[in-house]
Amino acid sequence: MLAETLSASIVGVEGLPVRVEVDVAFGLPSLTIVGLAGSQVQEARERVRSALRNSGFEVPARRITINLSPADLPKDGTGYDLPIAVGILAASGQLRSLERLRETALVGELGLDGAVRPVPGTMALAAASFCAGIPALIVAGGATGEAATVSGLRVYGAASLAEAVSHLAGVRGLPVAEPATLPPISQGRRGPDLAEVAGQALARRGLEIAVAGRHNLALCGPPGIGKTLLLRCAADLMPPLEDDEAIEVSRIYSVAGLLDRRAPLLRDRPFRAPHHTISTQALVGGGPRVRPGEASLAHRGILLLDETLQFRSDALDALREPLEGGSVTIARVDGALTMPARFTLLAAFNPCPCGWRGSRQRECSCEDATARRYLARLSGPLRDRIDLWVAMAPPAAGTTSRSDGIEPSDAVAGRIGRAWRRQLARQGMANGDLPAGALDARSGFGAAADAVLAQRGRRFRMSPRRTHRAARVARTIADLAGEEEVTREHIDEALTYRGAVDA
Amino acid sequence: MIGVGARGPLAAAELMRPVPAPSRPDHGGWTGLDLSALDREAEVPCWIAISLIPGVGPVGFARLLRRFGSGRAAWASGPSLLEALPRVPEDAAPALARLQREGVSSIAARIRAASQRAGGAIVTALDDGYPSALTAADPRPPVLYVAGDPVSMATTCVAIVGTRRASGYGRSAAAEIAEELARAGVTVVSGLALGIDGAAHEAAVVAGGRSVAVVPSPLDRIYPPRHRSLAARLVAGGGALVSELAPGSAPGKPDFARRNRIIAGLSRAVVVVEAPDRSGALLTVAAAIDHGREVFAVPGPMDAVASRGCNRLIADHQATIVTSAAALLHRIGAVPGGRPVSVTTLSDPEAMVLHALLQRPASIEELLSRTDLTTGPLASTLTLLEARGLVESYGGATFHPTLVARRIGRPTGLDR
Repeated sequence: MLAETLSASIVGVEGLPVRVEVDVAFGLPSLTIVGLAGSQVQEARERVRSALRNSGFEVPARRITINLSPADLPKDGTGYDLPIAVGILAASGQLRSLERLRETALVGELGLDGAVRPVPGTMALAAASFCAGIPALIVAGGATGEAATVSGLRVYGAASLAEAVSHLAGVRGLPVAEPATLPPISQGRRGPDLAEVAGQALARRGLEIAVAGRHNLALCGPPGIGKTLLLRCAADLMPPLEDDEAIEVSRIYSVAGLLDRRAPLLRDRPFRAPHHTISTQALVGGGPRVRPGEASLAHRGILLLDETLQFRSDALDALREPLEGGSVTIARVDGALTMPARFTLLAAFNPCPCGWRGSRQRECSCEDATARRYLARLSGPLRDRIDLWVAMAPPAAGTTSRSDGIEPSDAVAGRIGRAWRRQLARQGMANGDLPAGALDARSGFGAAADAVLAQRGRRFRMSPRRTHRAARVARTIADLAGEEEVTREHIDEALTYRGAVDA
Repeated sequence: MIGVGARGPLAAAELMRPVPAPSRPDHGGWTGLDLSALDREAEVPCWIAISLIPGVGPVGFARLLRRFGSGRAAWASGPSLLEALPRVPEDAAPALARLQREGVSSIAARIRAASQRAGGAIVTALDDGYPSALTAADPRPPVLYVAGDPVSMATTCVAIVGTRRASGYGRSAAAEIAEELARAGVTVVSGLALGIDGAAHEAAVVAGGRSVAVVPSPLDRIYPPRHRSLAARLVAGGGALVSELAPGSAPGKPDFARRNRIIAGLSRAVVVVEAPDRSGALLTVAAAIDHGREVFAVPGPMDAVASRGCNRLIADHQATIVTSAAALLHRIGAVPGGRPVSVTTLSDPEAMVLHALLQRPASIEELLSRTDLTTGPLASTLTLLEARGLVESYGGATFHPTLVARRIGRPTGLDR
């Protein structure tokens, strides 16, 4: 006899509906899974067999063939255990009522005792089921919060295979899970406070602008000057995720298995700071079973590359695509898949291998060519995508930084939050994401501002692209000041950060 | 023959004492050689050919002239020519054999054509166009390759040299001195290197003055490549590029040192702007002292490694301290050039920032504590001043007032 159950598969960070077809036929007893099933799916045979038996069902001594369709999509993971087990029951006549089965997708790993366990990516799988027009979903009891974030989908949590089957048979219905609610906004501190950073007024202000308008920032300076400390403060400066962003980001974290199942919706913007030894695959995603990389995990948040120039150059080059288009495309034998990766890049590096080039206190021990090559690791296209450059120097002897330099994170975050709301209200996106040509009179660029910008562009020999980037930064500076019109002062302040560091 | 005895046991004591201009005749001076007696037409091709032999520098060339009487006789002596040289590298003999096979007229034609292709001309010590300053700086380089106007070397020349790893302070000092010299009609000589050299050439060219770059590479391969466009602008502005190497040859390390000797030789005075210990610029200073040229040094802060060499020269009385560009001009007897008319009105914050910078160049951090502006408005004001040409920043960390700004003097808020 033939039966069919519904499930879903993860491709990149998206879910895709999958049909599980089960055929129980005469022949030598066997259990075969086809449809590009990976090793984790092949092992389902053993789990399903034991789970069925230990739940009081019977494993038919027949020739059982299972096909996962579409059959040309590589599948992996343990979420097919439940649909396979239920499919066998339906095909062998142990589950007779098929009404509910036709409108319910099943996702879950089975324990040998028949317990249903949650799988990563439940949120994306739930969304895929809903989009495919399937009104209900059964997942593991622990994963209902995650799945219920998809509004309109009826989610049931089953603790065991038996529970799921009795629900499907209409014997004992499961309760519909409550949708998860967004957690309250403040989640507590994640990084150091700006008040801990001594001096460095320009870098501090640059960071504020970068976070407020989602512009990419680079800090260059000798070791021990506070680059890392300052950039780590950015974690607490970002405004919370908007509601739609929260679902988008949480889904990525769900796929990566990084979600706390008790609070399945993220509220804090991601702050990712991978170590410089990271592989290209781990940075932008990929691998035999494609997983989101740090770039995607930093989606809608910040990607901090401390000691940027120590990263593998192919890893840095791979960041070009997300920096340009806000997404990562991974080419595979069976087609390309795209994952979102729209992050703000914060870079920090020394000006040369020894770190002391340009410093007054210590002599640089690097050859000129070595130092140039070192900086050249930041390739031209990457350099072009950095909006704000700050050269940091230790404070000269005898200067005391004034007290207005030690504003705490809360005050700065407040200003950033207000600037963020202004951007959303005006254009529905951050200034840093504005396409070329979007800055016109409606966004506060009057004739005077245009003239100043053109004059400065000529004076400082800037390319149109860099001029445009400076204009977006100027827009953010005006937003931080709460002003509608971009003025000469805003443009000039933006241009203070124009300099690309040169050997 | 003065000074021969200084090689005796007294040498150490002798060296302790700063000697203003020791002459070293045994080092291959051209003193006593009568060049006017030589047949120029026949000599020049042989001179070119001999200068191509590896290991033949100005010193060796002078020895050959002394020993054989003329370049032609030296060339005709064949391989025995090498015996007259103080030090002969291994590749000298095969190279000489190859050149001898090629023949002197063919060599001369080949090198002439190559120089022309590189936009240069050959100037030998026998020619009228040979810089007269170099004839007083023995051992003089026998053959020079010059692109541009040789007149730029006939007028008063002052060299500005310093470290390649210049700070903002060094660059701005080099630029200021070069600009003042150029305005006064003095030719600014330097080595086209990155850092101080480049800043000096650049400022002289921008001020509309002449500048001569003595390069350590042949004319067809200007080094460093990053300054090729600067080199072209320098020639276009009435200056010149000078090289001791024939087009097509490869530059080696000693050429940098010889280049420094030519820089010192061409110049009436040498100004060192920023030189750390063991800087190449200090070699130029040594050559200048050798040639009896006046040496000036721009002082730096006592904690600045980049200025240690300069500060030591001043402390050891080997160089005169440069307190301002105007004072330097006065010392070398040049007349300051016309001042540009600039009517500049400044807003209050501009005046405040510029006033602070005129007292001392500063970083944003320092300016925050010296003005009552906050970071945003201060950054904005600095960029405005930069756009108006009153302030320059090097690498974005420190800000310096430009020469124009210094001329305005103490600024006041005029448009109040």
